[in-house]
Amino acid sequence: MTTCAEDDLAASAARHSILHCVVLCLASTAATGAGLLLPAALGRALDLLLAHDPATRWVLYCAGLVLLLALLDACQTVLSGAVDARTTAWLRRRLTGHVLDVGPRAAARFGPGDLVARLVGNAAQAGTAPAARATLVAALAGPVGGVVALCLIDPWLAVVFLAGAPVLALLLRTLSRDTSQCVAHYQEVQGRIASALAEAVAGHRTVAAAGTTDRETARILRPLPELSRAGHRMWQVQGRAAGQAMAVAPLLQLAVVAVAGVLLTRHRLSVGEVLAAWRYAVLAAGVGVLVGQLAGLARARAAAGRLGEVLTEPAPAYGRRRLPPGPGRLELRGVTARRGGRTVLDGVDLVVPGGTTLAVVGRSGAGKSLLAAVAGRLADPDAGEVLLDGVPLPELTHDALRHAVGHAFERPSLLAGTVEDTIGFGLPSPSPARIREAARTARADDFVRRLPHGYATPCADAPRSGGESQRLGLARAFAHGGRLLILDDALSSLDTVTEAHITKALVTGGPGSTRLLIAHRAATAAKADAVAWLDGGRVRAVGPHQELCREAGYRAVFGELAPEAEEGAS
Amino acid sequence: MTGPAGGGTGAPAVGAEVPSAGAEGVSRLGVRFLRERWRVLVRLGGWSVLETGQTFLTGYAPARALDDGFLAGRPETGLAWLGVAGLGVVVGAYGTARVYAAVAALVEALRDRLVARVVSRGVREADRGALSGLTQQVEIARDTFAGLVMVSRSFLFTSVGALIGLFSLDPLLLLVVGPPLLAGVALFAATLRPLARRQEAFLVADEALADDLGTVCPGLRDITAAGAEQRTAADTGRRIDAELRTARSLAHWSVLRVVSLAVGGQLPIVLLLAAAPWLLAHGVTTGALVGALTYVTQSLLPALRNLVHGLGTSGSRLVVVLRRLVRGSPAGNGPEDHRAPSPAGRHEAGAQDAGRGTGPAVPPSPETDPGPDHTPCPAAAREADGRGREGAPVAGTTPSPRNPRHRSAPGPDSPAPRPAPKTSTDPADNAPVLSLCSVTFAYGPSAAPVIDGLDLTLPPGAHLAVVGPSGIGKSTLTALAAGLLEPRAGTVRVCGLPVAEAGTRRVLIPQEAYVFTGTLAENLGYLRPEPVPEAELLAAAETVGLAPLLETLGGPAGRVDPAALSAGERQLIALTRAFVSYAPLVLLDEATCHLDPAAEERAERAFAARPGGTLVVVAHRISSARRADRVLVMDGHRTAYGTHDRLLRDSALYRDLVGGWAPVPSGRSEPALALRDADRVDTVAGPGLAGDGRHVVAHRPVGQVQAPGDLRDGGPLGGQG
Repeated sequence: MTTCAEDDLAASAARHSILHCVVLCLASTAATGAGLLLPAALGRALDLLLAHDPATRWVLYCAGLVLLLALLDACQTVLSGAVDARTTAWLRRRLTGHVLDVGPRAAARFGPGDLVARLVGNAAQAGTAPAARATLVAALAGPVGGVVALCLIDPWLAVVFLAGAPVLALLLRTLSRDTSQCVAHYQEVQGRIASALAEAVAGHRTVAAAGTTDRETARILRPLPELSRAGHRMWQVQGRAAGQAMAVAPLLQLAVVAVAGVLLTRHRLSVGEVLAAWRYAVLAAGVGVLVGQLAGLARARAAAGRLGEVLTEPAPAYGRRRLPPGPGRLELRGVTARRGGRTVLDGVDLVVPGGTTLAVVGRSGAGKSLLAAVAGRLADPDAGEVLLDGVPLPELTHDALRHAVGHAFERPSLLAGTVEDTIGFGLPSPSPARIREAARTARADDFVRRLPHGYATPCADAPRSGGESQRLGLARAFAHGGRLLILDDALSSLDTVTEAHITKALVTGGPGSTRLLIAHRAATAAKADAVAWLDGGRVRAVGPHQELCREAGYRAVFGELAPEAEEGAS
Repeated sequence: MTGPAGGGTGAPAVGAEVPSAGAEGVSRLGVRFLRERWRVLVRLGGWSVLETGQTFLTGYAPARALDDGFLAGRPETGLAWLGVAGLGVVVGAYGTARVYAAVAALVEALRDRLVARVVSRGVREADRGALSGLTQQVEIARDTFAGLVMVSRSFLFTSVGALIGLFSLDPLLLLVVGPPLLAGVALFAATLRPLARRQEAFLVADEALADDLGTVCPGLRDITAAGAEQRTAADTGRRIDAELRTARSLAHWSVLRVVSLAVGGQLPIVLLLAAAPWLLAHGVTTGALVGALTYVTQSLLPALRNLVHGLGTSGSRLVVVLRRLVRGSPAGNGPEDHRAPSPAGRHEAGAQDAGRGTGPAVPPSPETDPGPDHTPCPAAAREADGRGREGAPVAGTTPSPRNPRHRSAPGPDSPAPRPAPKTSTDPADNAPVLSLCSVTFAYGPSAAPVIDGLDLTLPPGAHLAVVGPSGIGKSTLTALAAGLLEPRAGTVRVCGLPVAEAGTRRVLIPQEAYVFTGTLAENLGYLRPEPVPEAELLAAAETVGLAPLLETLGGPAGRVDPAALSAGERQLIALTRAFVSYAPLVLLDEATCHLDPAAEERAERAFAARPGGTLVVVAHRISSARRADRVLVMDGHRTAYGTHDRLLRDSALYRDLVGGWAPVPSGRSEPALALRDADRVDTVAGPGLAGDGRHVVAHRPVGQVQAPGDLRDGGPLGGQG
């Protein structure tokens, strides 16, 4: 399955620049051909020149070959650069589009950091595959052609070269084994410095307040001499390896020249042929380049495989229906959802009448967040269906669904540039008034105006505590509007006073919308029209908070024992 | 790594930094760096000479092998010459190995310096970007710098070897090979700058794309929820296209490299052939001609190719990376992009921009808004005068004449006076431990103030709890008191000293406790100049409640791994550290939020009973406020100040806050004031009330401090300055 997708992906990527690839393949092969012809022509011209025979034709051949090589080289440089860039961009566009279509499932399956790594690093690696494949013939032809040419000049030359080659391979292998060990040590020391720095950055306020910045810096840098030693050791090992590697190929070539020289004294070769033999030995030793290119191709293939995995995650399909006019009645019928082999929601039936507020409570792990996701079709249930004003959610068009349902989260991602853009995220052309109104309702207006540039402050620069992020996320949901508003634990980091105000504004928010609140606090649940008590993936009871409160098990959901134990003012 | 700057006043975005200026700065630093290490350069040159020798033999030995050996019918002489060449290869390889060691001396020195710089900047500015700087950018700099040194050095010594070789074979050969080689190098040098610009544009576009994806991928859920898939795809698509354009342009410009290679490396081959009849006629031998061709194809062409490819890419990469790393040099301004975990710690830069002397957002009035240099704060002065004897509460304080709104009589619910703090030998002893005088603070010049005209005075031994809704500025207050932030107007004094000079007299424990990898004793003695005696540590641990953890970790000498501790355990360590410090003023900014109520109480009581200690607690639970002998309620526009019981009666917000935790216990029994005094700060909070202008004190809307006279040390606490 995966290989299939990966091959598909590789094939489509290559098809995207097929013309480029064909030209590149031809150009590189031609360049290798010219490169293989040049030593022979050079040798022939030299022989004629030494014999004082007319050699203009051959000198011109050589000049032509050199010119052709330069042209082909230029062509190859531009083409392979262009193909790499085109393919990478194509892959990235394809993948981002797909990832966005898949939505939260993609982040859940791969993890956001890994997704970024795939879209940035792996796409760039996989992007080199078409060009590398197109030039593979040429890369293979060089060393093979070199050996064949040696053989044509004199079989002995090829024999000497081939006999020496294994030594070369053996030495190259010791190199890679040696370095990895000191690299590991270096990275380990570096990791120690990095983690000490991470600790200090996290403890920035303590350090700054204590005025111990310099002392901290010195303490973190204590392993630096060790890092330096490890670094020196790395270069030492690498230097030894490089020395070996640098000696092997020239010695091999000298061996070929020595044999050629002996053959010259026996008049079996000309001076030109000796020169040619030397060049061919160099070309044949270029097998290292081929190995490198093959390894690169393998890496590119592996990277394409990781991209293919992302593509196998199916994107949810949207329907073609629009919402009929309605109050926003939400209905869950036999909703079952599994995550990682565990049934998180188990046949949930729930109705939220239009215009009312339903609070969903339950211990952590009861499936509340998944219920919120399913209710707004951020996830699809494995069985059962969710209806909004009588229409199953999957039958709705993308726009009809997303316009009708607004979400606020416990930890919102604030995406767009400024605070203003963030609150108006997803709206076609939000008016400043609407955004400020939403911010006021979410009680975010006050702290936003205290930011360095108010609403125009870039989000990345806005100092945000968890509570402030939540309020921006709420403001975004309020600005979004729609007939169903889902708050997934979106009040958890607020102080009790602020939460009370927002809940009040929500519950009395008018008949325009239906609210689904995932709540942790009893006070929030108490303000809702009804409470659904979720336990082990099933709805244990639905009713007003006061009624449910008679059950000890329900009260235990809030962990409400000593009032003091409850979360405090900030 | 770090995103675009933007806080403060119109700092240019990082990406838009003027490249040439940065490059010059980097190159100046580079020259200085190399000059300081001339010995290493000499060593590097010394070992590289072996490579020159090898290159020399590459052409010279075969030439002699042909002329004197194989062509003269003496194959043994030929083989001997080739043997010499082989020996040259081995010696050259040895030289290469030693060259690496010399390069290491350069590269590792640079790496050391960059690491030190990144770490010191990271610690100073709490820049999380420093981490990627440390693990990635420094490594890129290290690798590219090494590559650069190797490549340019190799080109230099190889071409010298080849040119000497050509000259010794026959000076005429130099005449043929030299000019095109020079032309090729010159062409390359001329294209270096435009190429580097393309390379840099590509790197910048690539980074912008990575940053963009770095926000999109973690935000997929929110994008789907907002239905903004298409828009986001279009946005990201634009970045992908931008990167594609720069990559293409880079590929096109790379043709220049091919051209300089062709001119410098390939053209001499043709010229040698074309000139061969003339050369041979002028006494150039067969071997010399072959040797010359060998020099060109085996030495010069590869060296030039490495130079052209290596210098073109690594060079600009190195400059880009170095510029990023050097950015925070002491001369330059710190970047605005702080990602410190606490809101208060993040905007020093912005705060400094808005610093002293800039026009405050509040309409200044000579009477109510003393300038920053308008020192002796009336409240502080009164406090100092009125208190008279050390630490003894002054009952029945005179109300400030300038503050007729203050309640003057001590209330019936005045708390029992705490035992007087133990004698302190502090010279600044008779000054209040903390005094804020008309302190105003905002995060930017155009931002609404977080704290406005706040007056607050704490005598030694006081125990203040600060409460208020989240994000209201409680942490900002502690940051001001700790000198982490500078007020826009007003003064902050600790023990009578300006806060900046009182570093050893206060300790701030923030919510995110700082515990570092090391021994427990190191962690606990962090704020003490000398090692703390073990007995004292054990006693402190016992008092604060750290003893069980201390035992688990194996005593003060036990190793601490912060990641293996719970948040509460880390807080206990930070609290004990503050406890053993000499600082008279302890600021706990939700420093106990991960402790259970009993542990919290124990810790707070330990601090309250600390000899000579004054305590400010940003309360996480209302119980913290109950334990304190005075409470400051912050509500953005107003503040209220008094004892727990009095505030219950007088402050609606405080009642609200308390109501969130517990039924109002004592406040209910108190006869509620039927009518609030018209001049009393009314903290009824409600939607739309904020900023609606119904402030009690119209000309001074914010920072009113309500000072009930029932606190033992009375009136000086409040006032309008």
